[in-house]
Amino acid sequence: MKSSDPVVTRFKERFGDEILSVEEFRGQVAISVKSARVLDILRALRDDAECPFDMLADLTAVDYLRLDHPERFAVVYQLYSLLRNERIRIKAYVGEARCEIESAQALWGDANWLEREVWDLYGIRFLNHPDLRRILMPDNYTGHPLRKDYPLKGRGERSNFPKYTVEEPS
Amino acid sequence: MGLEKILGDGVLATRVSALVNWARQNALWPMPFGTACCAIEMMATLSSRFDMSRFGSEVIRFSPRQADLMIVSGRISIKMMPVLLKIWEQMPEPKWCISMGACASSGGVFDTYTLIQGVDQFIPVDVYIPGCPPRPENLIDGVRKIQEIVSKEKISDTKHGS
Repeated sequence: MKSSDPVVTRFKERFGDEILSVEEFRGQVAISVKSARVLDILRALRDDAECPFDMLADLTAVDYLRLDHPERFAVVYQLYSLLRNERIRIKAYVGEARCEIESAQALWGDANWLEREVWDLYGIRFLNHPDLRRILMPDNYTGHPLRKDYPLKGRGERSNFPKYTVEEPS
Repeated sequence: MGLEKILGDGVLATRVSALVNWARQNALWPMPFGTACCAIEMMATLSSRFDMSRFGSEVIRFSPRQADLMIVSGRISIKMMPVLLKIWEQMPEPKWCISMGACASSGGVFDTYTLIQGVDQFIPVDVYIPGCPPRPENLIDGVRKIQEIVSKEKISDTKHGS
């Protein structure tokens, strides 16, 4: 897909205020947006008349700590149009102070677990998510380990287990 | 067996511990705790080419209550460690443990927040097998080492570890 594609042009006209940048790299279009109206943006792309992006291929996040980006985190939506065989990438920037974004679970069911994974590892809270629990780390885990400021060797989680002891029969 | 021709109806004198250890060391029932690629090598060790049953320990038990040798083969994450502890506690005495491969013994290359840096921090390990993953010969060597340990135990020793 090119950034001159009609679906991108229509998108720019409709959500001009929300767009931070439109990039094209090797035939891939990536649109960076603000996170406030992300649900409207995604719904518009999903229900586009000519090129409906009806499949959420992936949902993940990036931590741009100490890098020159509009906000610290970006939630990345990889969308795919089964009808047109086209792909588009939406990056919604989320700040560190108010680390939350609307859930896309109502638009695509598979967003449920993907958002749980992003919450688990990045600590980005998804509003109106039906079941926002950790999915990979243990339930009693504290912290979000894929954040760049999380220590690689952890905060002692890997050594906080009881040692096996033998109980003497009384 | 042909043995009765030599011995007839005779009597054998032996120490109880020698007899018990002989039985124990040649009928080790392993509990496989395979979580990664080491488990593939363990399966190869059990199958016909390497054939661990030559050493009397082919009866893999997936119930810890029927096993006396735990083979920890693979990475143990912080989410898996409580499971490993519980299964080890469920195994009846006497029991032995092999820590197979670099990950189970030391965390291997995975020096990260989520991986246990050696299961010996939490459960007693008798034999460590180096390698990433170890060859089936190494695992057979580990089982032979366990058999040596078993042969030196006393019948009065009922608990494991110190």
